[in-house]
Amino acid sequence: MTGNDESIGADDVRATSGSARRFDEIDWDDYEEPGLFSVTPSLKITLLAGLPIVLLGLYDEFVVGDREATFVRLGSDLGLSGPFETLGVDFDPGSLDFLFMFTIVLFIAYVGYPLYRNGRMTRYYWREFKRNRPAVISLVWLGLIFVGGVLGPFLIAMPEQDLAAAYQPPVFASIDLVHTTGCVGEIRDGRCYGTWEHPLGTSRGGQDVFASVVHGMTVTMQIAFITTTIVAIIGITFGTVSAYLGGWADEIMMRFTDIVLSFPTFVFFLLILYIYGAGLGMFILVFAAFGWGATARYVRSKALSISEEEFIKAIRISGASTPTIVRRHVIPNTASSIITQLTLIVPGFLLAEAQLAFLGIGDTAVPTWGQLISAGRTSIDFAPWIVLAPGFTLFLTILAFNFLGDAILDAINPEAEAETDR
Amino acid sequence: MGLLRYILARTAWAVAVTFIIVTITFLLIALAPDPNISQAATQAALQGGDPTEAAQREAEMRGLDQPLHIRYIDFLQGVYTLEWGWSDNRAQPVTEALLEGIYYTAQYSIPWTILTIIIGPIVGLYSAANMYSWKDHLATGFAFAGWAIPNFFFALILVLIFSVWLNLFPLSYDPSAPVFSLQNVHQLVLPVFVLVTGSIGAIMRVSRNESAEFQNAAFMKTAKAKGVSPLRAYALHVMRPTLVPLSTTLVGQILVIFLGSSLLVEIVFGIPGLGRITFDALINQDTNLILGATLLFTFIAVMGNLVEDIVFTILDPRISYDDR
Repeated sequence: MTGNDESIGADDVRATSGSARRFDEIDWDDYEEPGLFSVTPSLKITLLAGLPIVLLGLYDEFVVGDREATFVRLGSDLGLSGPFETLGVDFDPGSLDFLFMFTIVLFIAYVGYPLYRNGRMTRYYWREFKRNRPAVISLVWLGLIFVGGVLGPFLIAMPEQDLAAAYQPPVFASIDLVHTTGCVGEIRDGRCYGTWEHPLGTSRGGQDVFASVVHGMTVTMQIAFITTTIVAIIGITFGTVSAYLGGWADEIMMRFTDIVLSFPTFVFFLLILYIYGAGLGMFILVFAAFGWGATARYVRSKALSISEEEFIKAIRISGASTPTIVRRHVIPNTASSIITQLTLIVPGFLLAEAQLAFLGIGDTAVPTWGQLISAGRTSIDFAPWIVLAPGFTLFLTILAFNFLGDAILDAINPEAEAETDR
Repeated sequence: MGLLRYILARTAWAVAVTFIIVTITFLLIALAPDPNISQAATQAALQGGDPTEAAQREAEMRGLDQPLHIRYIDFLQGVYTLEWGWSDNRAQPVTEALLEGIYYTAQYSIPWTILTIIIGPIVGLYSAANMYSWKDHLATGFAFAGWAIPNFFFALILVLIFSVWLNLFPLSYDPSAPVFSLQNVHQLVLPVFVLVTGSIGAIMRVSRNESAEFQNAAFMKTAKAKGVSPLRAYALHVMRPTLVPLSTTLVGQILVIFLGSSLLVEIVFGIPGLGRITFDALINQDTNLILGATLLFTFIAVMGNLVEDIVFTILDPRISYDDR
């Protein structure tokens, strides 16, 4: 660890603002407390990148017709049909896609940018994080799922029915010809062998399993990002406000949290599904609306313990108002534990979605892993890949989220290391 | 506040919570069009009758033409006096149908819960006692994998391997098997195994991490110095303080699995329990039965949380009753 001390010192000097300032000089502009509605860099990023997405989303909602593709319409409205067509821009994102993009912008602004800004701490976290090898592998895996989820649909076409190529085996595997309607690959000794055309084989309807898994990544990432954002917003607001109001307001808010916590969301969602019918959007909304209880409780206890700290008292004596303290000091100081908590609740949402899809009562309009598992159930004895491919992807994703949450906890909270380090 | 008063207050609160949830359920149903009415209308139209009239008749029959507050009071009365209506699809009272479901659900839920409560903390303690050894890594890895693998997927794989390929376990569940018979044990091995592996992970991890804290505590050193055997020291001195944080996870984890995954496990294994009944009711649009099942699951969840809080308070004398 020698040598690191030096580099940290050097970073500090650079961090103060570039010029050759001595270490004991402070550029107060960096530390000025902005007013309540000041424009922080994170807010700037959100507005700059998020506003076009919101506008496009509204345009899609109110102007573009049901059967029109958003970008084709946009092209004709802007008089850019020609260039759009040559570039092949004919996407038709739905409202969930817009929400997904917006939450990614929020993540860049409120997680990515602060990490980039505090380079020294980021490098420290990374060093701590790197020591946990399963967590690094998990991060790579989730990165793959993320990239596959965002770019996959553009590169790989939606799997299509092809009855002539039903139950094709994956590469290096084979299947008895009795079960297939035709064989894309070579046939030897009455068995059909897999080809690279369908690396993970095909389902009963001849849909490519690999393409279905990739399209399932999009749904998975949408659920992960959107629910996390909603849960974070409600949970953090509720927790900090409750901690800071104290007294009766705190009591009522925490009792309310109790109700939310003891709600059997899965069963209740079945009821909502039965009465109103529900798509993926409704699923995300309902599960996020009942999923923030634990986060709020957690944030509240963290906020309470931090507000007891000496530095908060010092800030209060210096004349800072309560909203400023909460926004500038309490939330940033609880951020690390909030991120851990959020990472650990995502698997629950993914599992719930897969379960609904498996029951055949999820959103049938979007291809998900659970649906694929459900579709392959009847043919599991001779075509197990239809169940195994999405099943193991789901399993590994849930595992990765858990490992990641644990590793972040260790990296940002050295005290907890003794308890959770494996 | 004394312990008794705390328990009373907490129970009163639990009743209040069920009241609020029942109210929300009522609003959900009252604000939506009843599928039975539209069904009646469609049927009337198909048979050449007047759809509006049929819809009205159906609404009257179901008491939907009354003002909202009267229906609400009726609803509350019905819920709390256990008059949960008639299940059209199963042609029996809802409560009877649910009881039948509980009969089958309990047959695998009770062994599963007991096994989880016994095995989870023991594996966790064992892991903590051998921390960072290969035994610990093996136990942790097993627990993690069992926890992360979706139960229904795991169940499918087990059915494939053990029932289809190896023919060791029956493929379909036989509801007529007597409860205490070898046949019943045989057919429940796989579902119980799936649920135990699913719920054990979190419990094992919490008990491992929590007991790690107490392993090197002063009282353990004293116990060792006095010559207490390691088994006794772990069983009596480490186990007890570990149980306090564990009780929260334990009830929570079992509830989560009971309210979500066991539904799917029943469907995969073909057990005609509560989950299966709920699912069938959903498919067959049996409103009363769905409502009954939802309420039953809600009551179980609220009860679970109540038990959890009370056990927590009894186990840890340091918790003051005033703040939670």
